[in-house]
Amino acid sequence: MATETAQRSAADRYKAGVMQYKEMGYWQPDYEPSDTDIIALFRISPQDGVDAVEAAAAVAGESSTATWTVVWTDRLTACDKYRAKAYKVEQVPGNPEQWFAYIAYDLDLFEPGSIANLTASIIGNVFGFKPLKALRLEDMRLPVAYVKTFDGPATGIVVERERLDKFGRPLLGATVKPKLGLSGRNYGRVVYEALKGGLDFTKDDENINSQPFMHWRDRFLYCMEAVKKAEAASGEIKGTYLNVTAATMEDMYERAEFAKELGSTIVMIDLVIGYTAIQSMSKWARRNDMILHLHRAGHSTYTRQKSHGVSFRVISKWMRLAGVDHIHAGTVVGKLEGDPNTTRGFYDILREDFVPRKLEHGVFFDQPWASTRKVMPVASGGIHAGQMHQLIDLLGEDCVLQFGGGTIGHPMGIAAGAVANRVALEAMILARNEGRDIKAEGPEILEKAGKFCQPLAQALSTWKDITFDYTSTDAPDFAPTATAMA
Amino acid sequence: MAFSMHAPVQARPEERRQALDDIDLPEGELPGSLAEIYEKSGIPEVFARLDRDLIGLAPVKGRVREIASLLIVDKVRRQLGLTAEPPTLHMSFTGNPGTGKTTVAMRMAQILHQLGYIRTDRLVAVTRDDMVGQYIGHTAPKTKEILKRAMGGVLFIDEAYYLFRPENERDYGAEAIEILLQIMENQRDDLVVVVAGYADKMAKFFTANPGFRSRVAHHIDFPDYGAAELLEIGELMLARQNYRFDAKARAAFADYVKIRMNQPHFANARSIRNALDRARMRQAIRLFQEKDKPLTKESLTTIQEGEIRQSRVFRGGIEGWPEGVPDAQGAGQPGMEK
Amino acid sequence: MPMTQGTFSFLPDLTDEQIRAQVKYCFDNGWAVNIEYTDDPHPRNTYWEMWDLPMFDLADPAGVITELEACKKVFPNHYIRISAFDSTAGWESLRISFIVNRPKEEPGYHLERNETHGRTVQYTLRPYATQKPAGQRY
Repeated sequence: MATETAQRSAADRYKAGVMQYKEMGYWQPDYEPSDTDIIALFRISPQDGVDAVEAAAAVAGESSTATWTVVWTDRLTACDKYRAKAYKVEQVPGNPEQWFAYIAYDLDLFEPGSIANLTASIIGNVFGFKPLKALRLEDMRLPVAYVKTFDGPATGIVVERERLDKFGRPLLGATVKPKLGLSGRNYGRVVYEALKGGLDFTKDDENINSQPFMHWRDRFLYCMEAVKKAEAASGEIKGTYLNVTAATMEDMYERAEFAKELGSTIVMIDLVIGYTAIQSMSKWARRNDMILHLHRAGHSTYTRQKSHGVSFRVISKWMRLAGVDHIHAGTVVGKLEGDPNTTRGFYDILREDFVPRKLEHGVFFDQPWASTRKVMPVASGGIHAGQMHQLIDLLGEDCVLQFGGGTIGHPMGIAAGAVANRVALEAMILARNEGRDIKAEGPEILEKAGKFCQPLAQALSTWKDITFDYTSTDAPDFAPTATAMA
Repeated sequence: MAFSMHAPVQARPEERRQALDDIDLPEGELPGSLAEIYEKSGIPEVFARLDRDLIGLAPVKGRVREIASLLIVDKVRRQLGLTAEPPTLHMSFTGNPGTGKTTVAMRMAQILHQLGYIRTDRLVAVTRDDMVGQYIGHTAPKTKEILKRAMGGVLFIDEAYYLFRPENERDYGAEAIEILLQIMENQRDDLVVVVAGYADKMAKFFTANPGFRSRVAHHIDFPDYGAAELLEIGELMLARQNYRFDAKARAAFADYVKIRMNQPHFANARSIRNALDRARMRQAIRLFQEKDKPLTKESLTTIQEGEIRQSRVFRGGIEGWPEGVPDAQGAGQPGMEK
Repeated sequence: MPMTQGTFSFLPDLTDEQIRAQVKYCFDNGWAVNIEYTDDPHPRNTYWEMWDLPMFDLADPAGVITELEACKKVFPNHYIRISAFDSTAGWESLRISFIVNRPKEEPGYHLERNETHGRTVQYTLRPYATQKPAGQRY
């Protein structure tokens, strides 16, 4: 890349007028990021005729101290420190119009423990910047010094398991369907049948709040009757994600308090409530021993397209900091977007204490989590019992497998659908632990379990050929080769 | 108690298939030949290793081969339905210190594992102190803990007769023996016990505990090494540490062995190892005294006559024991007598 | 109705062979294995009685099976579970927990509803078995 640097005299540098960003100190190819710097990796698509280095410097400038013209008031600050530094620009493999720009930000640019402040800088102005056709925030390296300013998940995977007394297998859930229109009384029926049948959780959908057909209090009351009745039928802890998403924080707190009063173990929010509201709800959940489920409603508007927006791996990092306990992170095999390698990267970010750089998973930086609690990924959307071996093989055991249609759509009814899922899950975990190759032997293991479990046999024959095989829009740019690993 | 050059006491995790269990015999049909089974079982490798690790000991190796043959035949008979009862596999290894009992026990664990009689080739070596407690209620959990750890493999109890102390009627050893016997009888599939120690003490122990005697199926006696074997062992030990005798040193060491093996407290291969450790020390001292000479690979690896002849053994003393210790002392101590 | 706590409650009762395989899986992962029993199957009854100490450093499941047999002999009609503990930093908790013995009859649970203000209900779950004193329940 270009090697010109921004070394010039102060008088020159601060002369009134317009100057290239790379001349202003936002391009520093020799800069070595310090351990406490926050690093952002952007995918930039410069307008025709715009130099990639200048574009990277512009992103650094616009996401930190710069404005479009020189201002003398810079000289009243330690501006060298506060300027973000673009220090590396490299071409996206196989794509002559896109570049990866590495930009380092000093820790003091950010308020401790505030996702709102972090995002106001990093994705605040810069995404509408005219010299760029498109811009995508691919990944961030969050230094330990910054990670430690957040409380992280209210509960975390380990404590959630202890609280629910459920170990050694993925948890099972189902979203109540139809999404809209059920009355509270009918809605609770679905919850009861599914939990009694063997699921651990049921779930409100993202857009179930308080509509004319069902007031939120009605939903909560009927759902908790269903949860407790299912607990009595099974002797197990059960839960239903009561969606407390509402127009104002006051409403959300009111709904969450009511869920607590009724004895729920878990409440739910949507990503669309915003980062500040999410952090507020996390603090509430922490105070009240409540598991906090996040439905990533709306994320695809900015995560799905590769050229513009924010990668979901960055959202995953922000949400682990913000402190949610569950987050929908893709199924690979289901109906929603999800390249296997990219999804693997999300799961690692949510669940591991240290996530090493792995380009073929789309992970660009080593990310230490410094004992921040782990987030339970939720796999939801178009999955069924017949895929159990693939799901466990791809996603591991620390996740929630959410079978909505795959439970409620069972020909023998909801409880039978739940039994089928639970039996398939337990049989597969048993076989995996016995050392069997579930990826290869999965169908055979399921078929054998179907011999003693009629509902499973029916589930298998109902959905046996259902797959969603489409090309992913968010595959990693790097193939798993030795050079990409370097 | 044994001369084992480099084998760890706790053997490696399972790494070989249980070869014999792979041979599926159709009901009543004979396998090709025993030789075929023997080759497939992986046991030849174990014997090769036994030969590499242990010099001489022909009678012991012969006994091990006999036991292995018996077990292979038994296995085939069982697969053909000619035998129903699983064989008793508990063993007693008797002999003086340093005669290879632990090493052979480890190889035996591998053989039993290869033949599918035990599930791991792990050997847990213990003595009385690991099993017997100091106060009421202490012994049972201690013994059970050891047994559980050894299950699936071989439990090697060194100087097993010390479990039994008839002179002290409140001794807790009896409790350990009782638990041990129960497992030896009822869980023969889960645990093989090898008791080891001096022949005379073991004989007394068996007489006093007939229950034990009847549950031990195989006895192997470990004879003392002859002078030539001991010299060969010494040279092998040195070679493995990248040392060697020069001609005069070799002759001196042959003299040394002849004297030492007739002294008290002689512990076969272990005494040889100790003597060589001291010779290496003297070599280092000599090299320092000649420190202005240029070092060569030759000088660093060679043990000279002086390093051997300096030994107290040549002046009527016993090496490794303080000057002037009378022979009688120590002879009564466990593990020290000739 | 059978209580369904544990990793494998929806499968037919595990055979000795199956239990052995799961225990082996635990040891292969370096986890310590516990045997616990209870006659109070309330889902919040976290602390079942320990049958001796957790078993560390075993190479083979035989030791666990021996203890399990002994425990069953004393408590043939109790719930008995095997669980495994992972001491890895960041976990330091159970990794698996499954039932290996249950009472012949499982009377289930009573759900008590305490109606309070509005339509709010406070729920209390009670195993029918615990209406009797400990030791006389199953």
